[in-house]
Amino acid sequence: MKINNKITPKGFRDYLFEESEAQTAVENRLSALFASRGYHSVVTPALEFMDVFTCPEPAIPIEQMYKLTDRNGRLLVLRPDITLPIARLAATRLQNMPRPVRLCYTEKVFKVNPGLNGRRDEVTQSGVELLGAAGKRADLEILKTAADALSVCGATEFKIEIGHAAVFKGLIAELDTDGDTVERVRRLIESKCYAALDDELDKLENQKIAGILRRLPHLFGGGEVLEEAAALCGDICGDALQYLRDIYDTLQTTSLAGRVDLDLGLVHSNTYYTGLLLRGYLFGSGVTVLSGGRYDHLLQQFGEPMPAIGFAVENDAVAELLCQQGAVDGGRIPDVLVFGEPGYEMQAVLYCTERIAQGQIAENSVFDSWAQSLEYAKQRGIPAVVRVGASIAEERI
Amino acid sequence: MMRRIRIALTKGRLEKSSVELFKKMGLDCTALENKGRKLILPVGDYDVVLAKAADVITYIERGACDIGIVGKDTIAESSGEFYEVLDLGIGKCRFALAAPQGSDFFAGYNVKTVATKYPAVASGYFEAKGMDVQIIKIEGSVELAPLLGLADGIVDIVETGSTLRENGLQVVEEIMPISARVIVNVASLKTRKAQIEDFLKRLEAAAGM
Repeated sequence: MKINNKITPKGFRDYLFEESEAQTAVENRLSALFASRGYHSVVTPALEFMDVFTCPEPAIPIEQMYKLTDRNGRLLVLRPDITLPIARLAATRLQNMPRPVRLCYTEKVFKVNPGLNGRRDEVTQSGVELLGAAGKRADLEILKTAADALSVCGATEFKIEIGHAAVFKGLIAELDTDGDTVERVRRLIESKCYAALDDELDKLENQKIAGILRRLPHLFGGGEVLEEAAALCGDICGDALQYLRDIYDTLQTTSLAGRVDLDLGLVHSNTYYTGLLLRGYLFGSGVTVLSGGRYDHLLQQFGEPMPAIGFAVENDAVAELLCQQGAVDGGRIPDVLVFGEPGYEMQAVLYCTERIAQGQIAENSVFDSWAQSLEYAKQRGIPAVVRVGASIAEERI
Repeated sequence: MMRRIRIALTKGRLEKSSVELFKKMGLDCTALENKGRKLILPVGDYDVVLAKAADVITYIERGACDIGIVGKDTIAESSGEFYEVLDLGIGKCRFALAAPQGSDFFAGYNVKTVATKYPAVASGYFEAKGMDVQIIKIEGSVELAPLLGLADGIVDIVETGSTLRENGLQVVEEIMPISARVIVNVASLKTRKAQIEDFLKRLEAAAGM
């Protein structure tokens, strides 16, 4: 058998120095932000029963999940999403907590990505879930928290985009068509694949709705898209459009004006979204770095109906951008190396703590000779070496 | 400062017609026509790179380039997250299943063997039909495989059908039409909307649509 003990599996990787520092920096900034808004951190297991993600219907494509079995042969998956485990946790463990419940997390999620397109199968997400709260107040809080999350993450410009799950769902409900067609249309709208969408929609009987669906992926940008949508849709999904108008206009009066756009073509593949949808982009990063939305019917699946909204930040994408911008360093070079002469080994270790207490980074020399210690300090670029013996002497390099 | 918009063009078949479109848009294409050894070529306000078709998709998906021109054949074979916003109507051809003339590909109960350069397209096509086939990936002339008795049929790009005829093959069924498409990085379209939409509008006008 071929031995693979020197490489990592496809889609998985090591994070060294500045990459790892950048990850930690993003996590810390986001956790602090979430905590300051009253969110409490939770940890869920990396392995869950597959049923959490597939009942009553798959919220995530089954082929995208890493699967294994437990001792009783039951199917487990490496969590491909965090919202569902949090919904499970909230519904089963927090029934008696006063609502709303504000939860936050930093967790790894796992997804099988096809091919060699450079995407990672293991990524870290930090996010919040606001459970037991419906309506505008909760949505505005989440939108502002999302904007602040992007702004604490990096020095660059960002953009938040909002949409509404009921727009697509409302239009589709008017069509009397099968699930496969709906999924094809959804995918074509999601990928703004105009040409193929036209072909698909030409086959539909209800050409009035088809005409609206055809325009849907074009409807992104400022407030003007809502006017066009309202003119197109008439009464269909009027509530959702009115709600988006209300939210959008409210945000225009704040510092978020100019940073929030609309995209009525946001049609998420996660089936559990019911209301406001949001996405975030950082200038300079080619991927969606934040996504989320309202999922008012999800908790019901776990026996505890309550409205909820949340979002997650893709920490890896943000950390990558921070590294590119040189915004993190790979750990400081120690200020001093401490060598203990034979018989003074412990004194050297203790002397390190003294220097550390002064705010320095001190490294204990594990070499047996002074000459070797000097050589090592030169290699590493450590500016000073201290010799601990009957007396203490410091030498600059 | 924001970097210039980067456009990835597919080398080869689509290259010439893409450059023609750029010229119609009024872009100065001298750098593109006298490439020399430079890899990133300035064209008007844009930077253009020439790449192999599959790489165009990778560049766009990862955000290394903002806009790409690539054939539907390559898009269908790879998977990825990007916007496919425009059908340029150039480089038209089609994917088709072909088999030796006079043979009935669908007859009999034996599992058929199919040779192709596009295993994802071929398996998607047969899965949709609910048909088990054995797919063999071939890099060069796929038409050779049935002649050598390696395969019962092929899934390949067909332009005029003359190569098929010369090799005693015929189209059994068309799978999908192919033409050059414009693809855009997801974040670019949102964060640089005005610039990209302006380019797309001018390109669409040049393509005469």
